Amino acid sequence: MSDATLQHPRPMQVTASDIADLRQRFPDAFGNRRRQATSALLWTVAIGYLLWSLWYFEFDKLFNFNERATRMFSEFFIWGDMSGWDYVGIYQGLAETIAMAFLGTLLGSIAALLIAFFAARNTMPQPIIRHGVRRFLDLLRGIDSLIWALVFVRAVGLGPLAGVLSIFVSDAGTLSKLYSEAIENVDRKQIEGVRASGASPAKSIRFGYLPQIAPVFISLSLYSFESSVRSATILGIVGAGGIGKVLVDRFRAGFFDQVAFVVINILICVFVLDWLSGKVRAHFIGEKPH
Amino acid sequence: MAQSSIATTGFVIPPGQDPVSVFEKHRAELLRSRLVMNITLIVLFLALLIVSVIISRFYPERLWNGLPRIFEYFGTVMPSLEADKLFEGRAENGKAVPGSLLFWYSDIGKYVRLLFETILMAITATMLGVALAFVLSFPAARNLALTRWSNILARRTAEVFRGVPEIVIALVLVFAVGIGPLAGVIAIAIHTAGALGKLFSEVNENASMRPVEGVRSVGGNWFAEMRFGVVPQVLPNFVSYALLRFEINVRASSIVGFVGAGGIGQELNHTISFYNDDRVMAVLILIVLLVTTIDLISERVRTRLIGRENLI
Amino acid sequence: MLEITQLTKAFGPNKAVDNITLSVPQGQMVGVIGRSGAGKSTLLRMVNRLAEPTDGKILFGGREVTALRGRALYAWRAECAMVFQQFNLVGRMSVINNVLMGRIFHHGFATAMLQIFGPEERALAIRALDRLGMAHTALQRAETLSGGQMQRVAIARALVQQPKLMLADEPIASLDPLNAKVVMDALRTINREDGITVLANLHTLDTARTYCDRIVGLMEGRVVFDGTPDQLTDRQAREIYGAEADDAFSEGVTSTSLRPAQPVRALEGAE
Ligand SMILES: Nc1ncnc2c1ncn2[C@@H]1O[C@H](COP(=O)(O)OP(=O)(O)OP(=O)(O)O)[C@@H](O)[C@H]1O
Ligand SMILES: [Mg+2]
Repeated sequence: MSDATLQHPRPMQVTASDIADLRQRFPDAFGNRRRQATSALLWTVAIGYLLWSLWYFEFDKLFNFNERATRMFSEFFIWGDMSGWDYVGIYQGLAETIAMAFLGTLLGSIAALLIAFFAARNTMPQPIIRHGVRRFLDLLRGIDSLIWALVFVRAVGLGPLAGVLSIFVSDAGTLSKLYSEAIENVDRKQIEGVRASGASPAKSIRFGYLPQIAPVFISLSLYSFESSVRSATILGIVGAGGIGKVLVDRFRAGFFDQVAFVVINILICVFVLDWLSGKVRAHFIGEKPH
Repeated sequence: MAQSSIATTGFVIPPGQDPVSVFEKHRAELLRSRLVMNITLIVLFLALLIVSVIISRFYPERLWNGLPRIFEYFGTVMPSLEADKLFEGRAENGKAVPGSLLFWYSDIGKYVRLLFETILMAITATMLGVALAFVLSFPAARNLALTRWSNILARRTAEVFRGVPEIVIALVLVFAVGIGPLAGVIAIAIHTAGALGKLFSEVNENASMRPVEGVRSVGGNWFAEMRFGVVPQVLPNFVSYALLRFEINVRASSIVGFVGAGGIGQELNHTISFYNDDRVMAVLILIVLLVTTIDLISERVRTRLIGRENLI
Repeated sequence: MLEITQLTKAFGPNKAVDNITLSVPQGQMVGVIGRSGAGKSTLLRMVNRLAEPTDGKILFGGREVTALRGRALYAWRAECAMVFQQFNLVGRMSVINNVLMGRIFHHGFATAMLQIFGPEERALAIRALDRLGMAHTALQRAETLSGGQMQRVAIARALVQQPKLMLADEPIASLDPLNAKVVMDALRTINREDGITVLANLHTLDTARTYCDRIVGLMEGRVVFDGTPDQLTDRQAREIYGAEADDAFSEGVTSTSLRPAQPVRALEGAE
């Protein structure tokens, strides 16, 4: 005890005159007023905007729930008698969702396989066509698949056909762009290596291009399938078939416990499909993710 | 090194055997296992294809009958513009002349208001979602969480928020708080919190722990460790992910209107459902313009931010 | 006075630190040597409480460090500075803010999070940087500095903690000889001028001999030598560094060939 106080270390200390002296020598080290002001201004603007926009969106409505809403939230968690539920309808809806996503992605991939070569710089040297194709793809991607679904429902009627078409269109847009990027990223050296060993053009495509792009294409399509399953779950909201239709019907009818059940099933289904598609991807890419 | 690469392919040449025959045997085994796997996958693929076609009743004749109707529909939604009347103003009776741009876009005031609302919804939802994701991302990172339970809780929360599509949340919230943009904003914010919470926590898990330990060693508490040990490292990534999410949220806020949760989607839903065919194109064009403009701006900002990062 | 009694740290069945008892009077400079895996880092990290001891006690000035919890623990860490082999600075933050991190314990939640530091603290930070000849880099980002410069910033950060004890875990292991000398000289000067106890893990024997008042040799988690540099014979050193080094052992192997301490120019200027 005593030795600690006796041999107390002599800490560094500063006096007022030291501060004045150092402030003169290193003014910016004492805080840059301009930067502080800018960041304070930015924060004020951001928080001010947030508060204003919440007022604009009538945030207070969140706090005066009506009695119906309370009933809904409680029924999400407290389920009634489960024996009378239409399980066939629910699982048929799920199956329809997966089927829509699968067919849509498959058709989208096939279309992208053709379109991509018109959008890649190294396979389409003509800039006008290339840019035209690319803008068209931007258009396809810029419109959400739910909007496409709405349009196709009006065109071909209610049901999964509209869903397949809407996924096909938006996947064709996304995949064509991604495929064309993969084609542009092909390693020239490998192809030259194949050519140098005396391969014909057909053989150089088979052994130069294909081994490089095929795994990428498959993997991209699988990713696209995963995301299509997610979007396919909601297309039913506008009448394009799938589990979304089941969900909305149950919701409108006020069977909130069934809504919760359907949502849980969607979550599980999406999770399992992601996992499966990851397995298949690992098989084609030839290595397991670390 | 060489040892491990041999070990991974499962290919060793026992001493005293002919390397070529060992290799050929190994190759044949490898090919056979690949072949079995590939055939299984093809069979599965075909089965899935057939089942899918049956379930979704995607038969050629249905498609065949449908195709003309699609083109027909796209024909009907085209505006009936007439070249000579294109730029004509209002007639004496105050009505726009059919065939003029003004007639086509006579509701432009409403569209602009809804577009504005759509952008505001996206901005507010992104801000709220990013804030919540930021808070979730630290306990959700395995290396940073204080306790195992807070880690599990944060992860599950993010997963559920991310898993439920925003339009489903919007549907529920419209029922709870009424028709209007508030439901959309909150729905998108919740989904954003989940999606970004997961991404942010992955960024956090890749952060170096050295600065964290440095802050701990000077007597900082957990908040100081996060604020000074982690945040400076991960902030550029967070910003770039948040901007990407903003682009996605602009799309989302243009569709949540389908269930009455505000934004331009509400108008699109009306025009399509109530057969105001020429207006469909008018609204669609605006949506596409909005989405592409936001994408372009956001991409600029992102490349500028990343570019600046690279300089240092 | 730092008193370590029967301190043990086990990782599963293997004991990284095995029943160490050690007492260090205030103001001493102690070098801890031992071969890789001897438990040097583990020992130091337990003193700073970055690692939890399995058994045993650490006392400082009569206070039981190993029993501290919550805010008292943070207070102890603030009092007991640590310098790391890899510097552990916040790369994307300015040098001065890195040094000011040493004051973080003395701040409440809001001022800490918003980095609001008073002029005295800033003056203290610049003073500390100046002592190590780093004041001119104050506004640079820490990640733009060289290794030796980073370590000097880390020592400046330790200084503004106004510690009674400074721990250094292989502070020069990733530095070239010249920078190593600058850093070791700085530690020595701080020890002499400020009366701060220094406990440094060193992987080179002659650095320990040159700079330390006392050398502690660790082997498999146990103290096998404790005495002045003069008392450490060649044979004992051989033993500490292990049998495998037997054939080729000479002080040259573990040497970075530092000359005896001469005050650094920057440190002279500060006085
Ligand atoms: N987090 C940990 N988990 C398991 N074992 C550990 C851990 N940290 C250290 N060890 C073990 O404890 C022993 C002592 O490690 P320590 O890092 O203290 O050695 P050291 O003397 O600092 O060695 P070096 O000179 O290489 O830094 C080693 O056997 C090490 O493998
Ligand atoms: Mg060590």
